[in-house]
Amino acid sequence: MTAQPNREGSKSSFTRFLDLSETKLAALLLAPAAILLVLIVVYPVGRLIWTSFFNLSLTSGMPASFAGFENYGLLLKDPIFWQTTKNTLLITVVTVPGALLLGIALALMANLPFERKWPVRLSLLIPWALPLSFAGLIFAWFFHSEYGVVNDVLRRFGLKGIIWFNSEEWAMTAICLTIIWKTSSFMALIILAGLQTIPRSLYEAADVDGAGRVRQFFEITLPLLKPSIIIALIFRTITALQTFDIPYTMTRGGPGSSTATLAMYIHQNTVDFLDLGYGSALAVVMFLLSMAVTMVYLRFIRSTR
Amino acid sequence: MSSHKSLSVLLAGTALSFTALTFAASSVSAAELRVFASSQHRPDVWRKAFDMYEAENPGNKIIMETGGNTSELQAQYLNTVMSAKDSSLDVMILDVIRPAQFAAAGWTTPFNSTIGDTKAFMSKYLPAYAGANTIDGKVVALPAFADAMFLYYRKDLLEKHGVAIPKTWSELTVAAKKVTDAENAPAAGRQSALQGLSFQAKAIEGAVCTFLLPYWSQGKDLVTDGKLTFDKDAATKSFALWKSFVDSGVAKANIAEVATDDTRKEFQAGEVLFAIGWSYAWGQFQTDASAVKDKVGVAVLPAVDGGKPVSCLGGWEWGVSSYSKNQVEAQKLVQYLSSPKISEFMAVNASLLPVFPELYKDADVLKAVPWFGSAQEIVTSAKARPVTPRYNEVSEIIRTTVNAVLAGTMTPEKGVEQMESRLQRVLR
Repeated sequence: MTAQPNREGSKSSFTRFLDLSETKLAALLLAPAAILLVLIVVYPVGRLIWTSFFNLSLTSGMPASFAGFENYGLLLKDPIFWQTTKNTLLITVVTVPGALLLGIALALMANLPFERKWPVRLSLLIPWALPLSFAGLIFAWFFHSEYGVVNDVLRRFGLKGIIWFNSEEWAMTAICLTIIWKTSSFMALIILAGLQTIPRSLYEAADVDGAGRVRQFFEITLPLLKPSIIIALIFRTITALQTFDIPYTMTRGGPGSSTATLAMYIHQNTVDFLDLGYGSALAVVMFLLSMAVTMVYLRFIRSTR
Repeated sequence: MSSHKSLSVLLAGTALSFTALTFAASSVSAAELRVFASSQHRPDVWRKAFDMYEAENPGNKIIMETGGNTSELQAQYLNTVMSAKDSSLDVMILDVIRPAQFAAAGWTTPFNSTIGDTKAFMSKYLPAYAGANTIDGKVVALPAFADAMFLYYRKDLLEKHGVAIPKTWSELTVAAKKVTDAENAPAAGRQSALQGLSFQAKAIEGAVCTFLLPYWSQGKDLVTDGKLTFDKDAATKSFALWKSFVDSGVAKANIAEVATDDTRKEFQAGEVLFAIGWSYAWGQFQTDASAVKDKVGVAVLPAVDGGKPVSCLGGWEWGVSSYSKNQVEAQKLVQYLSSPKISEFMAVNASLLPVFPELYKDADVLKAVPWFGSAQEIVTSAKARPVTPRYNEVSEIIRTTVNAVLAGTMTPEKGVEQMESRLQRVLR
């Protein structure tokens, strides 16, 4: 197993020292990352799936017992599961495109040749840097029916104030508006980075050819932005499926369960009800949902390349 | 104890430095105890009680932790700490509805071995609290303070408009209309409208009592001998009653946004005629910063027509964490906190209701809070929310339905139907 003299030049002194083949070296170098991944991803996810097949409730006073697919059967018959899943999908379908459109508009504005760039950039960064739960609490006050600034503005325009959190539709509207405000700056930051990679010369050439601003946007900007947009969409969609903080702090899922999300329902079953088996089954469903969405996007990226 | 005392005296006599004294004392029988207290129940006054304990037991140090301003938020925090088997908390305060859950999960250390004759020891407390803390013969926690829901009213406004204290909800509606119509007339020149009645319809623990008050007042029980005995008719009437207050303008339209402490704040700001609340509010109404100081009366909650008046039993308990590494010291501290001395101290200084019957006739207590004299009867006759380890689920079902019905997104009939099917799954 000693190294061949004629291959010595291609090997590092480290390999020579340990006397390893190329494959073994690769394994050795990948091991720390692999072990870390196993510890923080594979083990918890495996444990989650394992727990979902057990009756494990800390309030029952009983030890865990194998339940097979019982938790999954319960879940299919649980109206709150379906309602929270529906709410989660609704939030995703509304806020992802909403944040994308607003994000593109913000990025285009930030890309204008301002004399001072930092105030624009800073105002883009602030909503993104604000913790989600703060945003939720702040907007809960904005939309408060008596003390909120939104109703104050409506009244100044001679309109009637809305009791936002007294109606399923208005409560959902308030939550979606908050999420769009909060997440559009993230979209804008990624898209702004994409915008700055587009060479100026393309626009100059388009000017020479007589293409107008609108045409330039659709023929040059948008196609070249596509990779950035897709990356932004993947991240945003996955976080949208996991929406928790904003509805939790704004409405607590109310009125009734009309604005509760799947993530909130998982939290409720595990942390409040201490039903770890059922909570795990719900979490597995959410995991599968996120995986499915990611797969669709990845396939889309591959097909467009 | 005596060896520790004599050692302290000896050391003090030799005029050693203070640090040496505490060091020596802590090596004998001392511990640093972490206590979780609820932030809405005067932690400032509890701190004084802890200071008293520290002074009487040199070397012991109590670190107080508070968090979350509602019962559910505190329960969430404790659930996280306890399910992680975390030993950082030694003693914690628990809402009266939680000992059953904590007992089932094995999270508190029973007091049976340290209190001697269990029956004799517990019989000194008000019976409701002896019962709530004894689960299957085990004393899982000791009472901290008692509580019940009361009707707070504006004495001055009722006198001004010649209205008697209402005995039924119908009388309350009539009284509220009469007073608010006059007070809210443009001629009266009020800055903000006077609300007739404030109660809790946000999806919080207090909303469970909101639902149960008129339900119980009709003579019905939710759980009998551990079995669900849900009376759909009584439940529908309960929802319909609360809804009628909103529809007739006696309560404000956004009542679904109101939590326990919102009622207290709005009443304290002088914006409410009748309020449903717990005993702690009194102390705050009587401060100099309050707009209603000396204008507040307290009465039994009204009954439904033809029903009996009933209150919802509250109160909080001290438990010792099973994961505490200072079991002996923690149990000793809890017995001190649950003693007549501290119960009296908290009644006088924080208007928290005593857990010992004799304190309701105590001169110092009555001097500080005169209406406690008539409160014993209300606390004794107050009904307890269902005792079950799965209480959190029962509570969630009731409070979200109350919230949806009062927000107007669900009819009382639909709410009752959904509530029944969900309760049946939890309380079989």
